[in-house]
Amino acid sequence: MTNSFQVNSKEISKIKTTSKREKDFRIKNLNFFNKNGFPNKRHEDWKFSDLREIIYKNFKKLNTKNTSVKVKKINFIKDFDHNYVAIVNGELHSSNFKFEDKNKIKIKIFKNKNFSQENESNPLICLNHALANKGYHLEIKDNYKFKKTVIIYNLFTKDLKDSILNSRNKIKVGKNSELHTIDFIINESKHKFVNNVYENVALANNAVYKNICIQKDKSQGYFHKFSKNQLLSKSKYSTFIFPSGLRFNKLDLEFNLEGKDSECNLQSASFLNKDDHQEIKTKMNHLAPNCKSYQRVKNVLSSDGKGVYQGKIYVKNIAQKTDAYQLSKAMILSDNSEFDSKPELEIYADDVKCSHGSTSGKVDEDAIHYLMTRGLDKKESTKLLINGFLNEVIEMIKSNSVKNFVKGKLKKQIYGY
Amino acid sequence: MLEIKNLTASINNRDILKGLNISIKPGELHAIMGPNGSGKSTLANVLSGKNGYKISGEIRYEGKDLKEMSVDKRAQKGIFLAFQYPIEIPGVNTNNFLKTSLNKVRKARGEKEIDTMSFLKLLKEKSSELGIDEKMMSRQLNLGFSGGEKKKNEILQMKILKPNFVILDETDSGLDIDALKIVANGVNSYRDKKKSFLVITHYQRLLDYIKPDFVHVLSDGKIVKSGCMELAEELEKKGYNKIK
Repeated sequence: MTNSFQVNSKEISKIKTTSKREKDFRIKNLNFFNKNGFPNKRHEDWKFSDLREIIYKNFKKLNTKNTSVKVKKINFIKDFDHNYVAIVNGELHSSNFKFEDKNKIKIKIFKNKNFSQENESNPLICLNHALANKGYHLEIKDNYKFKKTVIIYNLFTKDLKDSILNSRNKIKVGKNSELHTIDFIINESKHKFVNNVYENVALANNAVYKNICIQKDKSQGYFHKFSKNQLLSKSKYSTFIFPSGLRFNKLDLEFNLEGKDSECNLQSASFLNKDDHQEIKTKMNHLAPNCKSYQRVKNVLSSDGKGVYQGKIYVKNIAQKTDAYQLSKAMILSDNSEFDSKPELEIYADDVKCSHGSTSGKVDEDAIHYLMTRGLDKKESTKLLINGFLNEVIEMIKSNSVKNFVKGKLKKQIYGY
Repeated sequence: MLEIKNLTASINNRDILKGLNISIKPGELHAIMGPNGSGKSTLANVLSGKNGYKISGEIRYEGKDLKEMSVDKRAQKGIFLAFQYPIEIPGVNTNNFLKTSLNKVRKARGEKEIDTMSFLKLLKEKSSELGIDEKMMSRQLNLGFSGGEKKKNEILQMKILKPNFVILDETDSGLDIDALKIVANGVNSYRDKKKSFLVITHYQRLLDYIKPDFVHVLSDGKIVKSGCMELAEELEKKGYNKIK
């Protein structure tokens, strides 16, 4: 990328393309990005997160070069047995499904075959469409329930500096199958870089997918992820997001409840400190009757931390008996921190239950006083309350070993407070 | 143990305590009775170090100026307040909180931190004395506890933290007669020559079970009458209006 963050079209000729259609698709998307640049607050979807300003402030240039890196060793989690997929700088590195029936699982490097002419208005998605040439494609065949969790190690190497990575992933869970994954982000780079991901998850009839997303440590990453998720009849999708630890993080999540009786559950707990900026944007599209969705987003904001939650529930006219719920709670510890919440309901069916709530407030002084009368100092009391506030989400995780693992990681993030 | 001289306290420009004097020696149990709005809870709050009050006068605890001490330091030095309305704290596990609290107090006393096994043993012993179901201890702090459970939990904390000076703020309110007896027994078994108590209550009922050495009547921010148990009995018969 040049100084004005434009991408030279030569970059596309460096990517191995299989067809003219693919090349045209990439060029079309690149042109869109170059014309519009990084989105700024004038875009409605970005009004609380002016990415252009953030990029200009923190980067002088960005390299789009995709250099392959050899990784000697990945520090695997020892807390519990698991399968794994290792991704290094967005690229599929290795995988191991030793606890499973390997005939039921397909994993390969992602190859895009969908060059739809649909006009995309998010410049970051266009940039991804133009440049992404790595990522993974995981497919679970019908009627297979995973015995152990799959940890997806997302490793970012030391040599990443002023880079922008574009990758694309896809997960497909077959009929009556069940998959649990943990996205575990390990960032070894001490420098600033951008990671831009496009993700697809497709759940067939009666499939169950559970996911947890968490960072190992604090890092200098600027992350954007767009995720498009399809839920067919009676499928269940549950995701727990613990996204803090990055300098910038925007998760743009779209769920399409296309099959009747499908269910989606999204919960998030974050601790945002210093200059952290994080946005969760969801679009819960109820497109079929009798579906359920539940969203709960909790944020604790300290010093100059900024958090955003834009949650939209859309109910199509045929989606009768929809049960949709959305709740945002923020605890604000400093006068300099900021939390923006924008709930939206768009309902075209008449027999539905939709509710939303949003609260933000300071830490409860009476609770602090109570804890202090038991000998804890102010900081310890506050930490205990932060922990308690976020723990409500973690407590919903069923597996004890995973719950404790997540608790430990989150505690470490709060410890710095 | 505790020496209060000419204590005044106001909040939001409203005077609540208007020159209160009291002296409590080691081993003594003082009861403070008074009508609604007389300043009883304010006195408990001020002694615990709660923010927001404008205070003048003298409060000395074991010879030291209490006003200079932060809330947590007071607790570490052995002051304990059993709250009238214990706060519900979601997400905080009762067990973990109590262990953290005990270790803070032990550390301040120059004792070694207690390990988890010994702590659980201690917890089991003390909760069975108060008839507390152990399962309650793995719940979130005070969350969804009944009135009686909350008050018992306060007394349990007292027994575990082993303070020298205990303030009981209307601990009897919201208790049925069986729970009242258990709580009173908990307090009585903790009394000895070194420990002092300040018991704040509306009714004589609690004092039938916890025998005070002295009874004071608080009215409009001042102690208007002091005496022994007979004073409490008189109050019960005649009401607060007749005593002044």
